[in-house]
Amino acid sequence: MSTFILQVSGKAYGSAAPVHALRFAKAAIDEGHHILQVFFYQDGVFNASSLGSPASDEFNVYQAWQKLAKLHNVELVNCVSAALRRGMVAKEEAETQGLSHWNVDEHFTNGGLGELVSGIAKADRLICF
Amino acid sequence: MKKLCVVFSTSPHSNAAGREALDFAMLAASYDLETSLLFTDEGVLHLISNQEPESIGCRDYIATFGALEFYDIENLYVCEESLKEFAIAPSALPLDVQVLTNSDIREHFGSVDEVVVY
Repeated sequence: MSTFILQVSGKAYGSAAPVHALRFAKAAIDEGHHILQVFFYQDGVFNASSLGSPASDEFNVYQAWQKLAKLHNVELVNCVSAALRRGMVAKEEAETQGLSHWNVDEHFTNGGLGELVSGIAKADRLICF
Repeated sequence: MKKLCVVFSTSPHSNAAGREALDFAMLAASYDLETSLLFTDEGVLHLISNQEPESIGCRDYIATFGALEFYDIENLYVCEESLKEFAIAPSALPLDVQVLTNSDIREHFGSVDEVVVY
């Protein structure tokens, strides 16, 4: 069994990166490997949106991440500084910054780059999408 | 501890990849991961002197490259082929970067644990 950390840098819509990452994660889990963490960085933070609403005949990448977290207990970490720069705000930040809205789904936790780096140190392999 | 190589492959300022790569590299080095940087393709444009990114509303993260030694990032590499493509003379580079051939780059990638491309 190997331990993987995944980094997703591609945006939720208009990039194939998250779909490839999801398929990798599912295949790795099915083969008995462990996904230590999925870290969303750069435009990857858009995957954490709780408001993304693709058309009904399109693949819903947002729901797919939420399902992965629920079914397999995979930790989804959104880089907080990359997210805030792009208007992706979690509930607790909205409260501390006095914002009236928030849009980061509850299955995602906020993290810093330190969590990515300590994950890289712990995992057998980093896979970037 | 693992060894990382952070690859700068996109031009500065047209998107945030270079800035986010630099943030990642400095953080990794501060966690004691042995971190090297490689500039290749349009990423070599990070090494042009006298840039004024503020004039197009961008933060001058290029200036931060001068602080890399404080993060113990000592191994800076640039792709020889890419320098030629952009007609940049190695003598004109503002940082102390080592010019690598394609086979040197292959060898370096083989010597690190993870390669992260931005």
